Amino acid sequence: MEPIAKKSLIGQRVPKPDAPDKATGRTTYINDMVLPKMLYGKILHAGRPHALIKNIDVSAAKALPGVYAVLTAADVPEMFFGVGRDNRPLKGGKVRCVRDEVAAVAAESEELCDEALRLIKVDYEDLPAVFDPAEGAKEGAPLIHDNKPGNRSLAYQFKHGDVAAAEASSDVVIDSVFNVHYVTHCCMGTSCVIADFDCDGKLTIYSQTQYPYNFKMDLAPALGIHPGDIRVIQPPVGGAFGSKLDVYPFEPVCALLAQAARRPVKLTFSREEEFINAPTRQPVRIHMRTGAKKDGTLTFRKVDCLLNNGAYTSWGPTVPFVMMRTFSSHFRVPNVDIDCRAIYTNNPYAGSFRGYGNVQATYATSIHADMMAEKLGMELLTFSLKNAQKSGEVTPQGARLNECVFAECLQKAADVTDFTAKHARYAAERNKPGRIKRGIGMASSIHNAGGAKIHKSDGCGTMIKLDDYARATVITGASEIGQGIDAVICQVVAEELGIPMSDITIVNNDSAIAPWDVGVHASRTTFIAGNAAQRAARKAREQMLNAASKRANMPADALDLREGWVVHDSDGTPVLKIDKLLREMHFSREPELVMVSEYYEPPSEPENKEHVGDMSAAYSHAVHVAEVEVDTETGEIRIVKFTSVQDVGRVINEMGLEAQLEGGIVMGIGYALSEELKIVNGQVRNPSFRDYKVLTAPEVPPMELHFIESHSSTGPMGAKGIAELPTIVPAPAIANAVYNAIGIRFFDPPMTPEKVARAIWERDSKLAAAE
Amino acid sequence: MVSQATTESQTPQEYAAPSTIEEALRSIADGDATILAGGTDLMLQTKPGGRLPYRRKLVNIRRIAGLRGVGEKDGRISIGALVTITDIANNELLKTAAPVLPQTADCFASGQIRNMGTVGGNICNASPAGDMIVPLLVLDAEVELSAWAKGAVATRLVPLSKFFTGPGRTVKQPNELLTRIVFARPDKKYSVGYIKSGPRPALEISTVSAALSAIRDNDKLSSVRIALGAVGPTVLRAVKAEAYLEGKTVNAQVVAETARLAAEDASPIDDVRATAWYRRHLIQVYVKRLLENDSQG
Repeated sequence: MEPIAKKSLIGQRVPKPDAPDKATGRTTYINDMVLPKMLYGKILHAGRPHALIKNIDVSAAKALPGVYAVLTAADVPEMFFGVGRDNRPLKGGKVRCVRDEVAAVAAESEELCDEALRLIKVDYEDLPAVFDPAEGAKEGAPLIHDNKPGNRSLAYQFKHGDVAAAEASSDVVIDSVFNVHYVTHCCMGTSCVIADFDCDGKLTIYSQTQYPYNFKMDLAPALGIHPGDIRVIQPPVGGAFGSKLDVYPFEPVCALLAQAARRPVKLTFSREEEFINAPTRQPVRIHMRTGAKKDGTLTFRKVDCLLNNGAYTSWGPTVPFVMMRTFSSHFRVPNVDIDCRAIYTNNPYAGSFRGYGNVQATYATSIHADMMAEKLGMELLTFSLKNAQKSGEVTPQGARLNECVFAECLQKAADVTDFTAKHARYAAERNKPGRIKRGIGMASSIHNAGGAKIHKSDGCGTMIKLDDYARATVITGASEIGQGIDAVICQVVAEELGIPMSDITIVNNDSAIAPWDVGVHASRTTFIAGNAAQRAARKAREQMLNAASKRANMPADALDLREGWVVHDSDGTPVLKIDKLLREMHFSREPELVMVSEYYEPPSEPENKEHVGDMSAAYSHAVHVAEVEVDTETGEIRIVKFTSVQDVGRVINEMGLEAQLEGGIVMGIGYALSEELKIVNGQVRNPSFRDYKVLTAPEVPPMELHFIESHSSTGPMGAKGIAELPTIVPAPAIANAVYNAIGIRFFDPPMTPEKVARAIWERDSKLAAAE
Repeated sequence: MVSQATTESQTPQEYAAPSTIEEALRSIADGDATILAGGTDLMLQTKPGGRLPYRRKLVNIRRIAGLRGVGEKDGRISIGALVTITDIANNELLKTAAPVLPQTADCFASGQIRNMGTVGGNICNASPAGDMIVPLLVLDAEVELSAWAKGAVATRLVPLSKFFTGPGRTVKQPNELLTRIVFARPDKKYSVGYIKSGPRPALEISTVSAALSAIRDNDKLSSVRIALGAVGPTVLRAVKAEAYLEGKTVNAQVVAETARLAAEDASPIDDVRATAWYRRHLIQVYVKRLLENDSQG
């Protein structure tokens, strides 16, 4: 036997295990599933923003043959659920936004459901409505919830240092108001759920959720059952991006229908329903004041945020939790004073969305950095480097920046794009003739990259078993929602156990089988689940090496597991095949099976009441550079080249990493240029892909991705979480590039052709009038 | 005149799939039929809650070979109603005789829609933003309408510029079928250009599209035709701008005045896709670019 050299899978290009089935159409998504005796469910939405329900007549719907259940609020206990415990599955008394669920039916087909819904007669008495949070906060504004005076929802404050003194000592102060808009997730699979009760009243729910364990806790109060009586099955889903991080009314409604009909019920949104009734990204009005010394040192940030809560409280109005982190830690900011308030309105409501507040906050901080550098007469790179933190610094909110390579990312981004020279040249060419103007812009941000301890635990449980053929099964709490964690876990486990990735099966789709995990969010899964899988795999490895040590009569630490063999660690000489070892262990006089478990809890701490705490086990930075062309007549913006430099800790799966970054950047560009859910008087005006414009393939610009490896001391193999920064940073990079091209700032994305053309026309008209 | 009594419902009561034009015309003779060609508009409009109910009978004309094909006879080019947008993009005769049509097809929706959608359907749908209508208007095309009358096929030709009466409305009677589109092969001196707005012209529903054709003789223009899409209740001809430009030589002042008049000819609205201001602004930008022979829009 030839010696077997040590090879590593880490940093290789590894296809996602689920990719072939998805690419060839074999995958059965939840939207494709059919259970025996299954019925279909549909919801009657209010379609009006604020109204009293005077009467609901469901008699005709109930009489329709093939209809098995018709429910209104009168038929179900008055249960409240949701982040703010202000939502009910079906609304009685009054409706507070267009999406409000007033009745639901279960029938033999979706067509019958539609017919039944048309037969339901609801008498409304419209109430005065409020759509603007500033109006909603005023005295005498229509009250949306009786128990929420002043329409006040959540509020957050953080103060550090002395902002007034810092302002007095500042040489330059800038002050801007940013209005960041509504966008929505646009998952390829629309919202879908299947609910099935057994005779004992236990619920099996087939769900798209990205947090199956706390989902049980959050769903139970909407149904009045015990969380322990809920089993969550997670079939493959067509995207989530944060939209499945809460319970939304359609889920308990479907369960209530199943309970009433005594049959499994499936409820699926049409695309139009999805645009109107799925959560959005949280819109925010950000009033930011920033100061600096002549030498470029940032002195303070004072930030006032007003959030449109919409009618109910999902995760949207909690985004200040992350926004405040950016305001206080994107660059070294010695003094900060942040005040954030969410006010109820009659608009639809926001949930969590990739970037979680940081997309909004970074739009402000990165544009202000560009404005400040210009006002100081400094190059943006110099200004940024001056204020970039170094390893070991602690932010005002207590984040310890270990392995911080912010400055390296900035320098690299500038070097590979020839940023400083181009930035100066395009600014100089701005006022020369010609309808196409070029610009280059840079933006950066910081994000948690080692989980986020916002729940009591940020952990992940993992179990590994090996069979007699050296096939491993990894049972992990980490959900796969398309992000690629299955590939990462296979790599990490294969690396430790010396078996091929193809011999590993991941089980992570059933809450009755897999151990607890907090959910897919906060760029945490590779970091947390990767650590849990690595630690579990090391236990299995140790057990196997100890057994091999006895048989080979060598110390365990002189052995290694490589390519299905136990080998001498020193020279790779094969000793024993791993499957043979496992059989010998199993069928011996002292039989043992390899089956191990691990619960990994990251070394982070929750914030205290003052919002101070090292809430993530790692932090990371990204710097983006956009080079654009602006057509000054039509206002169209074309991205010529997009460059990303990101601290990834360490590359684990290069292919997965690229896909995450490219996808995230495309989402970020859409946020900057074209995507906007237009909500006028509480109504969604563009509920289709015709009028809600996500980027399509021809508009995706050439991208250049650079990975900086900072080797996190706490991450699995040194990796950090990476998934949100790609969506967070593009918009201000593009806005800064547009400014470089045409000299106009856009504080209210998206920068649509019309908005850009109008701004140029207005400026030119003013200039002409002045002449 | 046929009876106007029609039956409207969620689902058609009858279905027919004729294989000849005559059969089809007999089938729709009572005027109570919805016609299916490519289905790319119809399927969306007739789904539950959509704006268009079905009439009693659904008549699928897709099997009628006589409605396909592009040909030329006596200097007149004829395009069958069932010719798809993809067919137009790839047609060799059109590439030489009227390249503006393949060029427009290239800005038309997605590949899937182009494969299914037909030129006849695009015209009969009568959208103010109908993409193929804009270049056909500047080619001065006519549509052939056929009906079954007194035991025979009767046809009439209607200029496309007289075909539309409002959004979704045309002069086509319920018992008539649009069978083909005809236009004179443009003179060699003819220049035709087309521009459609949007950062992704293909998948955009037109905010504004514009086409201009004229005979250019040393920059002097004659037989000027300007068509504008998505800036009025129908695709329209910019008649004031055309009249002004006729016989003029292109210079900066003429360009500016034509653009201004074209914006006046239009009656754009504010909607979720754009404001009237932006539509008028784009008309001026596009007319200017078309005159300057710059269709890099």
